[in-house]
Amino acid sequence: MEILGLAIVVVLVLVATIFVVRFLVLKTPADYRKGFVSSEIASNTLNTFLRTAAKDCSQLTMTELFQDCAQARGIICDNGQDSCRYAESTARNVFEGTLDKWNMKYEFLAYTDIKQPLVKIGNLCKAEKRSKLFPIPISTATMFVKLDICG
Amino acid sequence: MNRKSQIQIGETIAVLFVFFILIVVGLIFYARVIKGNIEIEGEESSQLRSVGIAQRVMFLPEVQCSEDNNIIDNCIDTLKLESAQSLMRENEVYYYDLFEFGNISVAQIYPNEVKWSLYLRKADNLRNKIVTNVPVSLYNPVTRRHGFGVLTIETFSK
Repeated sequence: MEILGLAIVVVLVLVATIFVVRFLVLKTPADYRKGFVSSEIASNTLNTFLRTAAKDCSQLTMTELFQDCAQARGIICDNGQDSCRYAESTARNVFEGTLDKWNMKYEFLAYTDIKQPLVKIGNLCKAEKRSKLFPIPISTATMFVKLDICG
Repeated sequence: MNRKSQIQIGETIAVLFVFFILIVVGLIFYARVIKGNIEIEGEESSQLRSVGIAQRVMFLPEVQCSEDNNIIDNCIDTLKLESAQSLMRENEVYYYDLFEFGNISVAQIYPNEVKWSLYLRKADNLRNKIVTNVPVSLYNPVTRRHGFGVLTIETFSK
């Protein structure tokens, strides 16, 4: 009879220990900053990049270069690149100094038809992502510029 | 005292000994759990403080771009930035209330690399550092062109 009482006490102590370990000891701090940072980065990077003036392309903005890229491709920049290649090389340069430096995985796309993107940088996010999509009006339709920040 | 009573006293002492050992082990365990929780709460509060300071800097009127009295979001005026540097140095106490211990700087990445240090206040006993990078547009009101920059906010805590 006494042994049974002891066994019950031991079982209760074990259950209490498991409960404490599960809910208190293994509790990890909530990462409030991560959500803020990735959503700010996705939105601000794209927003800022599209406003940026191209130094070798008559100070046209990236938005104007993408518009030309999706339409006539008549703009040739001072370094000999057309609007698509210039916008792509500038985006690579900017992302190298920011997202790559901060070890962030991303996918950048500029397209009118998503199956045939005009510009593609980075790799597809396989799991969670923060996404920002900017529509840009062009004469025939609408083109889109999209940045996905993985994780 | 007979032998049976002595055995019973011995049993009682042994049971009390085990009981107090269990109490001590429980108290040590409880103290460690509480200490861990305080550390977690400290970490969470540092993160929230860092996010709050980052938002304060992003909407600082001293550096924000405006056109015809309309504020341009996510944009820093480079001319305002230059005068804000000296303004913050001259009014350290006022800006300490806003940014506490930290380091705020702006770096232009495109078209050329330029760096501005906006605010710096350190203390030797602060070991933890949280860095928040926010891409911002850097507007030059003379040329009316935007560059690509990064606002770096470092917050220090114990």
